Amino acid sequence: MVMQDAKASPAKGLRGWLLSDSPANAFQARAQNAYVGWLAFRGNPIAMAGLFIVAGLLVVAALAPVLTGGEGLAQNLGNRLKPPSAEHWFGTDELGRDIYQRIIWGSRVTLYIVFLVSIIVMPIGLLVGTIAGYMGGWVDTVLMRITDIFLAFPRLILALAFVSALGPGLENAVIAIAVTTWSPYARLARAEALTVRKSEYILAAQIQGASRWRIVTGHVVPMCLSSIIVRLTLDMAGIILTAAGLGFLGLGAQPPLPEWGVMIATGRAFLLDQWWISTIPGFAILIVSMGFNLLGDGLRDVLDPRSGSEG
Amino acid sequence: MIEVSDLNIRFGRGAAAIHAVRDASFSVAEGESYGIVGESGSGKSTILRALAGLIDAWTGTMTIDGHDLGLRRSKAARKLLQMVFQDPYGSLHPRRTVNDTLREPLSIHGFDAVDERIVRALTEVGLGREFRFRFPHQLSGGQRQRIAIARALILEPRVVLLDEPTSALDVSVQAEILNLLVRLRQVHGLTYLMVSHDLAVVGHLCSRIAVMNRGAIIEETSDEAMRTGAMRHAYTKQLWVASKGYDADALSAMVEFE
Amino acid sequence: MSEKPLIEVEDLWVRFRTPKGVVEAVRGIDFTLGRERLGIVGESGSGKSQTGRALLRLTSGNGSISAKRMEFDGIDLLNADKKTLYGIRGNRISMIMQDPKYSLNPVMTVGSQIAEAYRIHATASASKARDKAMNMLDAVRIREPEKVYKLYPHQVSGGMGQRIMIAMMLIPNPQVLIADEPTSALDVTVQMQVLALLDDMVRKNGMGLILVSHDLNLVASFCDQVLVMYGGQIMERLAAKDLHKAQHPYTRGLLNCLPRVDGSHEALPVLERDPAWLEQQGGRS
Repeated sequence: MVMQDAKASPAKGLRGWLLSDSPANAFQARAQNAYVGWLAFRGNPIAMAGLFIVAGLLVVAALAPVLTGGEGLAQNLGNRLKPPSAEHWFGTDELGRDIYQRIIWGSRVTLYIVFLVSIIVMPIGLLVGTIAGYMGGWVDTVLMRITDIFLAFPRLILALAFVSALGPGLENAVIAIAVTTWSPYARLARAEALTVRKSEYILAAQIQGASRWRIVTGHVVPMCLSSIIVRLTLDMAGIILTAAGLGFLGLGAQPPLPEWGVMIATGRAFLLDQWWISTIPGFAILIVSMGFNLLGDGLRDVLDPRSGSEG
Repeated sequence: MIEVSDLNIRFGRGAAAIHAVRDASFSVAEGESYGIVGESGSGKSTILRALAGLIDAWTGTMTIDGHDLGLRRSKAARKLLQMVFQDPYGSLHPRRTVNDTLREPLSIHGFDAVDERIVRALTEVGLGREFRFRFPHQLSGGQRQRIAIARALILEPRVVLLDEPTSALDVSVQAEILNLLVRLRQVHGLTYLMVSHDLAVVGHLCSRIAVMNRGAIIEETSDEAMRTGAMRHAYTKQLWVASKGYDADALSAMVEFE
Repeated sequence: MSEKPLIEVEDLWVRFRTPKGVVEAVRGIDFTLGRERLGIVGESGSGKSQTGRALLRLTSGNGSISAKRMEFDGIDLLNADKKTLYGIRGNRISMIMQDPKYSLNPVMTVGSQIAEAYRIHATASASKARDKAMNMLDAVRIREPEKVYKLYPHQVSGGMGQRIMIAMMLIPNPQVLIADEPTSALDVTVQMQVLALLDDMVRKNGMGLILVSHDLNLVASFCDQVLVMYGGQIMERLAAKDLHKAQHPYTRGLLNCLPRVDGSHEALPVLERDPAWLEQQGGRS
């Protein structure tokens, strides 16, 4: 095939460094890979929308002290149940606290939940799944039956049970959610590992004398990683909602923490006349969940491209 | 260097068991280039994989450089014998750079002077430094196969197993890779065991050739015999005729071999 | 022979839009096909497969075909509407591909696939289609056709799969068959048998055959005419029996770098690619 216009004058500077044909070291090679992935991602407007929302969440959480006057904890019973106004953009709740401030600070809580769940679920799911898939035999059977046990329980009910055992609190709620969420990831990782283990690069590693641990962590896991990440971002919405649900039931974040689910719960009693107390946190959850969904969709297109454009 | 006797490999159990390799015996001298040809299902690749230690259940004996090979391979045994696979697109890890791929065997076996060895390996297979940090998708089929060869040689093995190393390559690239393999063998005094379905490639690279059909070695012939068609077994002769191209008359004489 | 050619192609271009720019897979080639066996030989990226696909307008999504002329039996293939095209594809011009593992439907029995191929282009009852399919299985020399009819693609060998593919594609009695690497995935003796079958059917039905392959020897021994492609262009066209007298350095280079069963052990001459070959305008010899 003959390429036209593919080699106009080579780009200079950072872009040139990122697009050059011959990376000079490992760092440049990985940076190039990331850049090409970014370019593909950038071309997808839905993915960019998701990224924008999630990035927005991060910025809001980081700048919470700058964006608000206080932490939304100051009660003012004389000012309770006031509708949105110039002074209180989102109105006040039943204890007179500024809802706008609570929403902004609540974003930190949401991020905390997302982060904690991810760092528990991903490693456990990956390791269990890849080890089971690669080793096969009785190891596979045992690990998968353990996975099945956790998979069999409905998430919210098992979370309830855990939280009852561990006591209410945000960290415990997160652990409970994580423990009930990792199973599908193990399954996913195992499915990928089953395909990957027949590849010739795995055989080559075996012939070289690589230990099984080295093969699983160095060869199999990197191939399973992308589908796990995509699945996690798509699941994020559900995780946030489960945390909100636990908060709603009073088992997760404890007052006065401005967790969005708790805010919906306490606003329930005032839903008809003071709609803003429940509805606004509800919108916040909606937007953030959608952001993660869109981001996950976009990531999947970048990390797992099935449609090539080879001529 | 390589001694195989009474090798039997079966897959599956009971009635559905496939007897993939039947009583295979052959030997390869040090520095020799030995070929195994056969059609698909003949068992040729299975023998190679058994030698490479990738098959769990076999009976018989396999010896490399006087050491008996067992089911479990020690690291030292791994250093003696390396393999180049058929598919250049599948034999390199897609998420690892060339540098990672070449570095790994060195770190598994604790070699020193890692950087030097990597650069030397690349030069030996005819690739410059600019390839060192590329990913496999940035390489052509021929370049990937060169990396696979570099990876096989970086541990300084005595024996290299070649599983159809050029079948997936374009004809012009195949010529380059074959020339490279010939040169490397001369320079390092390697012993080659090559499996292929392509008689011309095997005849070019190897001096003695075993012909397999349905799991059994039916004849051991030589490159000389290939040149003139002086084979003993009718199956080998038929293979030889078929490899020369389409010939309607010759075809009518072809039979099925059990 | 003064017979009108079945296919006439003039200045065919196939271009693909990719993020890195326009890729020209086929760059202005001309050729004609009569009731003969035409081989198109080239390495990967030469454009040979894309040429075959362009004839049936099967180029993938981001590709575009342009030509001064692309005619089959007087019909303009380039601008034909969908209805005409569907009437031609699989009916008057058929195509078989490399690996029957991927080109046969894995969840249908092979017999029903052949019968389906018949019913697409001919109104026929299910039992008539079944009979036709059985006849075709016989025609492609499959023993025990009743047994094979009920098998699924994964239960048949590569060679048999290709015969089934041939049966499917020839059941509507096409005038032209395009075979894209039909034997590359097969053992060499099976290759010969499948080619003999193709040979037979081409002669019996007066079909034109375009055989696309990377195997120079095969094409030279089987076809009547050979087109050698490189970089989207035709480097040389000659009669198959004159291949050893090829003039173009690319063809000579390809022939020389092939290892031979009756060759020596000397280093194979490596093909030196001359960039000037890509500058050659059009495929006119």
